[in-house]
Amino acid sequence: MKYNYVEKAIQVTRREFVALIGIAAAILWSGAYAVTDVVQDRNKYIKMRTMGLYKDDEKSTIRQSHHNKSLMDMYAKLAGKPLSPMAEELFHTTYIDRTKLA
Amino acid sequence: MGEIIIKSYQEHELNGIIQIDANVCKGCDSCKSFCPANAIDGAYGAVHHIDSTKCLQCGQCLVNCPFGSIKDTEDPLAEVIKKLDDPNITVVATIAPAVRVALGEEFGMEPGTLVTKQMYGALKKAGFKIMDVNFAADNTIMEEGTELIAKIEHYILGIPSEHEMGPLPQFTSCCPAWVRYMELYHPNLKDHLSSAKSPQGMAGPVVKIYGATEIWHTEPEKIYVVGVYPCTAKKLEASRPEFTAAANYWKKKGHTATYQDTDVVLTTRDLARLLKQKEIDLRMVEPATEQDNPMAEYTGAGTIFGVTGGVMEAALRTAYFVITGEELANLNLTPVRGLATVKEAEVSMKLKETEKEIVLKVAVVHGTKNIEPLLKQIENGTSPYHFVEVMNCPGGCVNGGGQPINPMGTSWLGTAKAILPWS
Repeated sequence: MKYNYVEKAIQVTRREFVALIGIAAAILWSGAYAVTDVVQDRNKYIKMRTMGLYKDDEKSTIRQSHHNKSLMDMYAKLAGKPLSPMAEELFHTTYIDRTKLA
Repeated sequence: MGEIIIKSYQEHELNGIIQIDANVCKGCDSCKSFCPANAIDGAYGAVHHIDSTKCLQCGQCLVNCPFGSIKDTEDPLAEVIKKLDDPNITVVATIAPAVRVALGEEFGMEPGTLVTKQMYGALKKAGFKIMDVNFAADNTIMEEGTELIAKIEHYILGIPSEHEMGPLPQFTSCCPAWVRYMELYHPNLKDHLSSAKSPQGMAGPVVKIYGATEIWHTEPEKIYVVGVYPCTAKKLEASRPEFTAAANYWKKKGHTATYQDTDVVLTTRDLARLLKQKEIDLRMVEPATEQDNPMAEYTGAGTIFGVTGGVMEAALRTAYFVITGEELANLNLTPVRGLATVKEAEVSMKLKETEKEIVLKVAVVHGTKNIEPLLKQIENGTSPYHFVEVMNCPGGCVNGGGQPINPMGTSWLGTAKAILPWS
């Protein structure tokens, strides 16, 4: 006699099928969600370093550049005032078109 | 393979700083998603290669490579140590804001630990004199802010100006990777960049002119400036032929030597290596306040230059004062803080003489790719902004390509690998 195996089709109701798909999807997606957590965590060190600098700002008694006394001393002795000819010479620059460089 | 031709650099500019080690690269494509300039070639699964002509030298690929296959090949450590050993040379370290919240990580501290005093102490022990780039950041605000105010007076209020000035919106010019992006990919818009140099560009001349005569009382030729930055692109910026203002200044006074304003740049990682080589432990070192050193005085505005939105916030604090004659009531401009890729804010100001009110529209962008829509607006003539801050690295300099590499928490995989059948 020839062996003739036919696999029996799975016996599930429509309701059970939808439930099984739901469970499978939940398992897969919670894994994917855990990965997003890891990705989020990748930014944590950026936020921690950022907080460090904001803390440095907040604990400063002087928080505006125009109140930096030593800087104003430097202007008085060397550069005059911002955008003065000396300031232009030392503190300003020009930019180039890099597509034209061979 | 033919000779690789590298364009887009001026003579003597450093190029090819960032390189992929072909023996370590897995071809995983991670770097490509972090590259702001699409400068990385190589198919998925094949060894990748950086096209230096396109590369901004920002190092984002380096700090994000999961396999540590990307290297910063410009290593001036030996030269710096030689200069430190030379008693005739005054070696001045200029230290950027973002270094002080990351250097500690290389010595086992939490990210974000503020180590300014320990860092000063360690640098002094290694033989450096100190100039804080935060001072130069304040200097940048004075120049860049005054430039912005001049443009507002000219273009919005119609006051004639004796200065030659670029169009609005004005872009910040502190970030060397962003400046290179503009010069290389949008040269037609380069006049929108502030003509003010970056803090590094200002720190050099200040040290070699003002520092030489007023602070350290030495010849400018005997000062060696070591920039310490969270950034690999600063190595390229320091080598720009335009950045020789101190030498040009002294030539007018009869000196003859030629030198760069900043002689050499170390990244945060490089500085940590130097300190370890000199057996200086940041945790043990005697802290220094540098209170009597004018070159180390800085304001809160200078220190936030290291985060996205910080330059904008600092500039507005000063611009508001100059335009209205009053200080901002609340110094924290929260709309420009945080990690949203494009941030906008409006600040209304009453002119101090006429009581007329103007509204300043600003934008803050980090991650250079995110600037493209704003550049399109300018080309179409529809840009609503007056001032735009751009930082190449996501989050700003705190996440720069020269910062300590943050481990991804995947090292256990290396151990787990032992159970594989072929190991």
